[in-house]
Amino acid sequence: MAVGSLIQLLFSTAIIPAAFGGVAWGILGGALPGISPSITMALLLPFTYGMDSTVAVVLLASTYVGAEYGGSIPAILIGTPGTNAAAATVIDGYEMKRQGKAGEALGISLYSGFVGGLFGFLVLVLLTERLSSVALAFTPSSYFALGMLGLSVIASLAGDSLLKGLMAGLVGLMVATIGTDPVTGLNRFTFGSPELLSGIPPILVMVGLFAVSEMLVQTTAPDWEKATRETARIRFPTPAMWRRIAKPQAIGSAIGAFEGMMPGAGGAISSFLAYNEARRWSRHREEFGHGSPEGVAAPEAANNTVACTALIPMLSLGIPSSNSAAVLLGGFLMHELVPGPMLFVQHGEVVRGLYAGLLVANIAMLIIGYLIMGPCIWLVSRPKPYLMAFIYALVVSGVYAFQASLFNVGVALAFGVVGYALRYFAVPFLPMVLGVVLGFMIESNYRRALVLSNGDPLTFVRNPISAALLATAVVVLAAQLMRQARSRGDAR
Amino acid sequence: MRNRDLLFGITTLVVAVVYYRLAVAIPESDLADPVGPQGLPRVYALLLAALSLILIARSLRSGQPATPNAERQTPQSAESRIPDPRSRPLRIIGMLLIGVAYIIVLPWLGYLLSVAALITATIYFQGGVINGRSILVAVSGAVCLWLLFIWLLRIQYPAGLWPSVV
Repeated sequence: MAVGSLIQLLFSTAIIPAAFGGVAWGILGGALPGISPSITMALLLPFTYGMDSTVAVVLLASTYVGAEYGGSIPAILIGTPGTNAAAATVIDGYEMKRQGKAGEALGISLYSGFVGGLFGFLVLVLLTERLSSVALAFTPSSYFALGMLGLSVIASLAGDSLLKGLMAGLVGLMVATIGTDPVTGLNRFTFGSPELLSGIPPILVMVGLFAVSEMLVQTTAPDWEKATRETARIRFPTPAMWRRIAKPQAIGSAIGAFEGMMPGAGGAISSFLAYNEARRWSRHREEFGHGSPEGVAAPEAANNTVACTALIPMLSLGIPSSNSAAVLLGGFLMHELVPGPMLFVQHGEVVRGLYAGLLVANIAMLIIGYLIMGPCIWLVSRPKPYLMAFIYALVVSGVYAFQASLFNVGVALAFGVVGYALRYFAVPFLPMVLGVVLGFMIESNYRRALVLSNGDPLTFVRNPISAALLATAVVVLAAQLMRQARSRGDAR
Repeated sequence: MRNRDLLFGITTLVVAVVYYRLAVAIPESDLADPVGPQGLPRVYALLLAALSLILIARSLRSGQPATPNAERQTPQSAESRIPDPRSRPLRIIGMLLIGVAYIIVLPWLGYLLSVAALITATIYFQGGVINGRSILVAVSGAVCLWLLFIWLLRIQYPAGLWPSVV
């Protein structure tokens, strides 16, 4: 993208305010223990409904960027990670705070997040369009196969319980069948309700599963430790420190770039991997666990790289590899933008706007991260019941605002109960979200492909793209089954 | 964990049976393709039923402890930090009832009063105390949200008792 057109794009739309606003919201949300990046994004989803689509996706993606940094604030100040990805930061960040170096730790975290974010952004821009260009030759059978490949991601997401992950995915597919049938126009599972004719929007499922269920969990969780204002004056790294943390930042960025693209890996795994590798390659290995600046730099660079590279499979193939990417996908779908091969052809301006917004968001993180520290500490120090009450009010108000419908509020609450039940039964959310998001694509393209081939099921293996995608899906599932079988064998 | 898996398996089996019965009741259409509107829903139901039966059988056969991943996902890990586990179901039901009550009273009370009531009740169910400060938080929170949704975003809420401020 030419620099001139980039500048024109930035100033012709509200991309810059959206990027700054998203980062600020993300940092505040990420700083609240228990409120993950996906929940922070889900809370924002309904507000984006009436916005220009480019501004909406920039706002959501910037929230993701901000939340990944925000999670490190309570990790360093109170030893409680605001997000899962910040858990590795607790190890040395909180230790640095106990040694009176909280400001330095926060500065390293912010600067490393910035470096990681920029690296992730470059990888995103370089890889996404190339990957999607392969998919321009897609037919209905290929789209069906792509959907099946997306579902096979469940194997990686389900952890040690593939069976329960598959079951959750099936329940998601069932939810996606509610509404008008994509081929015949008949009503299915609507029970005479006009509100269900157009199906259940994925946004309601996500707000319910992520945000409402978290409210229910927080009902019985104790309050977290409070931070003091004196502990948190950010101090950016000195040139000597820059040199010292350059290597762990590079390690974190490289791991984050790779892991971000892998289904189910996400920020938490890449942060711990980055921490481990940074320790292995460090000259000051003995300092790790005792307040090492490198132990803060590596995971923070990794999780902010993931915030960009997790968008690669989502944008190019329409497959979300993490909860946050799934919520962003929900934002795209809400604006009738279908991520995947045709997005770059039909809505190239949205993708370019998103790129520009992500670049601004990473710079904004550096500025807002510094300025917002005071409000963050004020927010984290509020009594938890007040914060949760306000978030609950925001959830029900936001869901109503989506389509001015009280019915939608009820649906989101119902999915909150489902989300709580899934937590209780130790079933991961993302397979269900994938089922809801991919269900329509899978069913409509499966049936269209059969209509076009006069009912010949071999059409799915005759098309080389479709055959390759289905084969990959089978390999992914088989590999996970073998891994489980091996780990069960080891356990015996 | 064994009992939870068993309960989950039974629950999903019931869901699969009910969903299958609803799926076969979908009328046929003259425009139907080879698969038809019933086709995939029936497959989903049968697959879910089969997986549920496998889970039920597995949980009856073995009493293995929870997997590490499962532990991370459940609120069980937080259970040890809960002061009084007996109040847990009541609080959760209370939180849900607050949401349901909000849906019911919003058309009557309008946005401002309904959301202030929701915040007050939520503070209580989240373990807070109802006093002057919490009422002040509820009212100021409601005003902030009113400014955001009605004044700034121009969302049309039911007018309720107090139409001038919905």
